[in-house]
Amino acid sequence: MADIRPYTIAVEDERLKDLKTRLSLAKFPDELDEAGWDMGAPLADVKRLAKYWQESYDWKKAERELNQVPQFVTNIQCEGFEPLAIHFIHVRSKVKGAIPLLFIHGWPGHFEEVLKILKPLTEGGDGVKYPAFDVVAPSLPNFGFSEGPKKRGFAMEQYAETMNKLMLKLGYDEYVTQGGDWGCHISRALAFRYPKYCKATHLNMDSADPPVFLKNPILALKHAITPYNSREQHGVTRSNWFDQEGRGYNLEQSTKPQTLGYALADSPVACLAWIYEKLHDWTDAYPWSDDEICTWVSIYWFSTAGPAASVRIYYETAHNVDGRKDKIDREKMRSWSPGVKLGFSHFPMDLAVRPSTWVRTLGNVVFEKEHGSGGHFAAWERPDDIVTDVREMFGKGGGAFGVVRGVTGYTS
Amino acid sequence: MGSIIKPYQIAIPDSKIEKLQLKLSHVSFPGQTSFSNDRKYGAPLDDIKRLAKFWQEKYDWRRVEAELNKLPQFTTTISVDGHEDALKVHFIHQKGHKPNSIPLLFCHGWAGSFLEVTKILPLLTSTSSNDSEEPTFHVVAPSLPNCGFSQSTSRPGFGIAQHAEVCHKLMLQLGYDKYVTQGGDWGFLITRAMGFLYPNHVLASHMNFILSLPPSPLHTPLLVLQYLTGRYTPAEKAGLERTQWFRNEGSGYSQIQGSKPHTPGFALADSPVGLLAWIYEKLHDWTDKYPWTDEEILTWISIYYFSEAGADASIRLYYEILHPATTAEGKAAPTMESYMKWSTVPLGLSYFPQDVIVLPSSWGRTLGPVVFEKRHEEGGHFAAYEKPQLLVSDLRNTVQKVIGR
Repeated sequence: MADIRPYTIAVEDERLKDLKTRLSLAKFPDELDEAGWDMGAPLADVKRLAKYWQESYDWKKAERELNQVPQFVTNIQCEGFEPLAIHFIHVRSKVKGAIPLLFIHGWPGHFEEVLKILKPLTEGGDGVKYPAFDVVAPSLPNFGFSEGPKKRGFAMEQYAETMNKLMLKLGYDEYVTQGGDWGCHISRALAFRYPKYCKATHLNMDSADPPVFLKNPILALKHAITPYNSREQHGVTRSNWFDQEGRGYNLEQSTKPQTLGYALADSPVACLAWIYEKLHDWTDAYPWSDDEICTWVSIYWFSTAGPAASVRIYYETAHNVDGRKDKIDREKMRSWSPGVKLGFSHFPMDLAVRPSTWVRTLGNVVFEKEHGSGGHFAAWERPDDIVTDVREMFGKGGGAFGVVRGVTGYTS
Repeated sequence: MGSIIKPYQIAIPDSKIEKLQLKLSHVSFPGQTSFSNDRKYGAPLDDIKRLAKFWQEKYDWRRVEAELNKLPQFTTTISVDGHEDALKVHFIHQKGHKPNSIPLLFCHGWAGSFLEVTKILPLLTSTSSNDSEEPTFHVVAPSLPNCGFSQSTSRPGFGIAQHAEVCHKLMLQLGYDKYVTQGGDWGFLITRAMGFLYPNHVLASHMNFILSLPPSPLHTPLLVLQYLTGRYTPAEKAGLERTQWFRNEGSGYSQIQGSKPHTPGFALADSPVGLLAWIYEKLHDWTDKYPWTDEEILTWISIYYFSEAGADASIRLYYEILHPATTAEGKAAPTMESYMKWSTVPLGLSYFPQDVIVLPSSWGRTLGPVVFEKRHEEGGHFAAYEKPQLLVSDLRNTVQKVIGR
């Protein structure tokens, strides 16, 4: 297709200089003694990272490495909105029967999260021992190197429409998804809107409500009488922690994204602290290097739409700004989606860690695996687990084997 | 005792003003969209751009500073149990004209400051010409610790009780053994705490922001009944709707400040425009069409930007309120709800319709003996600044009921 163009990340020198200037002018808070992580990102960490980002971190080197992965851009237009240039990684397997897999990132994540699972899925999947995948990993609109909408109301419906149109444009009539965070929510939206194309979703976040007797009598009964296993018990503690202590960013982004946006657009330190706190709190003791963190935050700082734009997805999903019918809201996403196979990988340090009976209210769960470690950014923290689980779900003997018409992941 | 009290003049170093200018000249704004000025999403882009430009090019801090320095300002040091031995506290102190003036502690909140007292100061310290029977007040209006020109605190656990201790000790230092209090926002909680901790000193408390426990089937069944049968006045119903709006749409700042204050603290410390937007959104949303001038807005924000503790320090109180610390002796600090239990201090309650939590009068009466109550038809969160006459009238009425003059 003529308008799928190769893409090279190339941040202009003035922007790099501007970043360094801003970091050199940074003004830091004082901090309480003994505060640790409880009250938010610690001063010593943020100061160290800001200094590293300013003086030692080499964006151009990171850019070169990112550019080793095949990237493209194409225009996708949602009904009622302007066309947006969508950036994406696309790697086709050499195996003819490879399964098309759409990897959807979340916030504060991005397309880079796919990098550790990319080769195992597309090359390690040899089509004989392991199923092979074609992988598409876009920057969501308002994130990474994709454009963002200038019109209000770009919500789950539009994110799903964009993703679906992208896959169809790439020649994939049917496909599966993998995702956590917004990747999970958008996968749910795809399941509701496009069950004809999106045949299965593998999720690493448990966004589900408890079963209620009227809707899911068997699950509700099971939930009532079966004690939680140890994963589920620990999950209660973790999920409660997130609800009580970890959702402030979510409420602000869901109600006043514009107010927050000024700080994110003006201060790289603000951006760094806002994101870095999550990279720490949401992962399972992942040993972030300063380079990893700076690259992660730089993708936000240098994003096409700007760091302030990325938080709007929360507001648009939480509000029905144009009174649309059939809005895909929180309640909808947590209801039964017919016709699409679901798989769940549970990681103990994710944010919503829910019992099996809860996630089984979402649809036909054909795969479920519990892990002993790992957190929210599963593909980055535990790529081997994600790869194993995806292979198991879609491979021979798996619950979603053959779910995409015509391609099983194996050489015929 | 008086020797540690010194006169104070605000004198922000040139270097701080230059740094602000430098940052404003480098400002980078979010991109424009068709909804950048839709207030529902937050502070409008055009407003913030205009204010940032004004701040950089026209706003004259030195002139404002000189004006503020006409106010009678002082500092003192106060020791706080388990915390600083000599915490520097900045305050306004103006004596009332009459010899038997009543000492009054005015307690500001967030995102306000000692500035909130400036319009009611002349009304409280003197009488209106017609009625020489009115009481006058010796007014004490501190910058709370971590705000304005008071010192920052360094240890976790500096919560409501500690703020109350500071305010009380300040009054004692000034020779005011018995006093009345006036407050909204944090001032509500702090003055309530003063009533619980120092009941022999607090003569009466007037509040313009009233938090109370919701009806409980166990403790206040009649209030539950009233709630269920919808027996509220139109104003009370409107107040509950306003409160619901605030809970659903206006509480993000409170939740992040109450759980992870250090994280947004970096934004508030490093980005003047970030701080401007964070506070300006409230100055608009929490007031009743108050006709803010650009200079007023920037002065309110400059107090935060140039504050002694830094713009980020003040928000920690939200965390402390929601995470009552355990004392060294293993005692748990009081929760926010404990300040809403019955107190014996006589209360004056003023309800302003555009405040952010506006609860029914019957709920407010669970706080203690309400000697005066008024539900106004205009005004918002910063009542002393928006409606100084109304507030002063309510305060005088409250005091007259208690002290009889």
